[in-house]
Amino acid sequence: MTLIEFRNVSFVHQTGVTALSDVSLTVGKGETVAVVGENGAGKTTLVRHTNGLLKPTQGSVVVDGVDTRDTTTATLSRAVGIAFQNPDHQLFSESVENEVRFAMKNFGFAEGLISQRLDWALKFFGLEQYRKSSPLVLSGGEKKRLTLACILAWDPEVVVLDEPTVGQDSLQKEKLAQIFRLLQSTGKTIIIVSHDVEFLWPIQPRLVVMSGGRVVADGKISVIMADRELLEGARVTQPQLLRLYSGLRNKPAGPFLDVLEARDWIGGWRARREAR
Amino acid sequence: MYWLSGGFVFRRVVSPFHNLDPRVKLLVSLEFFVLSLLAHTVAAIVLILLAILVVAAVAKSLRRIGRTIAFSGLFAAFIFAVNFLFGLGLLDAILYSVRFLAIISSTSVFFVTTSPDELEQIMKWMRVPRDIVFAFVTAIRFIPVVMLDAFQIMDAQKSRGLEFEKGNIVRRVRNMVPILIPLVVNSVIRSGELAEAMESRAYGSTPKPTSLYGMRMRWHDTAVALVSLLLVLVVALYIYHFVSF
Repeated sequence: MTLIEFRNVSFVHQTGVTALSDVSLTVGKGETVAVVGENGAGKTTLVRHTNGLLKPTQGSVVVDGVDTRDTTTATLSRAVGIAFQNPDHQLFSESVENEVRFAMKNFGFAEGLISQRLDWALKFFGLEQYRKSSPLVLSGGEKKRLTLACILAWDPEVVVLDEPTVGQDSLQKEKLAQIFRLLQSTGKTIIIVSHDVEFLWPIQPRLVVMSGGRVVADGKISVIMADRELLEGARVTQPQLLRLYSGLRNKPAGPFLDVLEARDWIGGWRARREAR
Repeated sequence: MYWLSGGFVFRRVVSPFHNLDPRVKLLVSLEFFVLSLLAHTVAAIVLILLAILVVAAVAKSLRRIGRTIAFSGLFAAFIFAVNFLFGLGLLDAILYSVRFLAIISSTSVFFVTTSPDELEQIMKWMRVPRDIVFAFVTAIRFIPVVMLDAFQIMDAQKSRGLEFEKGNIVRRVRNMVPILIPLVVNSVIRSGELAEAMESRAYGSTPKPTSLYGMRMRWHDTAVALVSLLLVLVVALYIYHFVSF
């Protein structure tokens, strides 16, 4: 079932710069889609159309059957939650719990439901101990998790994440990956904008590659990531695990999805070699 | 909002007015400022405003100055209403509101056509202390950055269901809190980072730093300065001697 549909969307900024050119794309319910591409490719502009922050100059964007030009961002945001790249652009409340409450109050949730969703979100993202703290004193990783908690608290159908791994250490990235797997298991529709191919590879999303405001590839990540010429054109690098796999003479059945899988295979290969 | 905010921000354009020495641009702007204060009839102040628009057209910045006028129009309407309601005649109320527009436009012509670097050179030439010059020019330089921040914060809060246009005036003012707090916090963080970066790059290590670029008056700069001074003198004398102007 199609949840978001871009129909021949073009977008020209007020400065006259064309950010999107004739983009057609559909996102199905429960899909995980990653949008990659060089800086200025139009990735962020594309996702800002999903909740009506930007309206197409030409074409149309339909979210859950509603044309984004016919409704407000506040209405669309109930279904599409966007986590922006910089958490400092949204945190303002005097406490973490009020920060999470903010959107739910705007959407008119009942107080009982707000408390229930607040407890769940803080627990899910490991932020319970900061409940009464100011969001401004949290570390970068905690702020990022708080912005995600703020969004998932109101349970939108689609979760859009703009560069979720920027400024995150490896431990935080691992936590984010766990959160993604949980979200995927709950059937959420996820759209991730990222340059971080190493982070995306184990998640194995559907991949949309953008360049110069156009979609230049759309399909399975394992297929697109194998096309070096395409990746070079869009300034996207291959994940290291895929490069390792490509360099092997006696390949396993499919590319490694994580380091442990690669380690196990190499261990087995060594054992077989020594046995010979 | 974005459209309006562009009316006060410098944009590099190739035009005869942009190429003038920044001191001459300041002089022309000051002349219009003084003339706007001297004019005491509606006809005179409208002519001065038109002259400013001619200069803006020469500077290929007519649209940007137009934005300034559109933005100031609300305040001008307020000035008109207050003066008219509190006993001044219709013509006097119009005079004060158009004078306000002329003053704003004259300063806007200077800021829209003068880069922060040129502004720094002028202030140094006026022997303003270096720290004050730096603080002032940095503030000007950061206006577009802070504006961009404000738009991004607004987008983030709209995405969390905040509706700025909803409710009465009190609610609308309260709706600005989620914008202002992150904006101020980000600006404070940025200023701290900038101070550290400047210190790391030896800011203040020498009392008289040298400049890579300097100001140079060319013959056409001098000509524009002299002609404009002459014109202002003639117009000022005309205003004083012929009240009916």
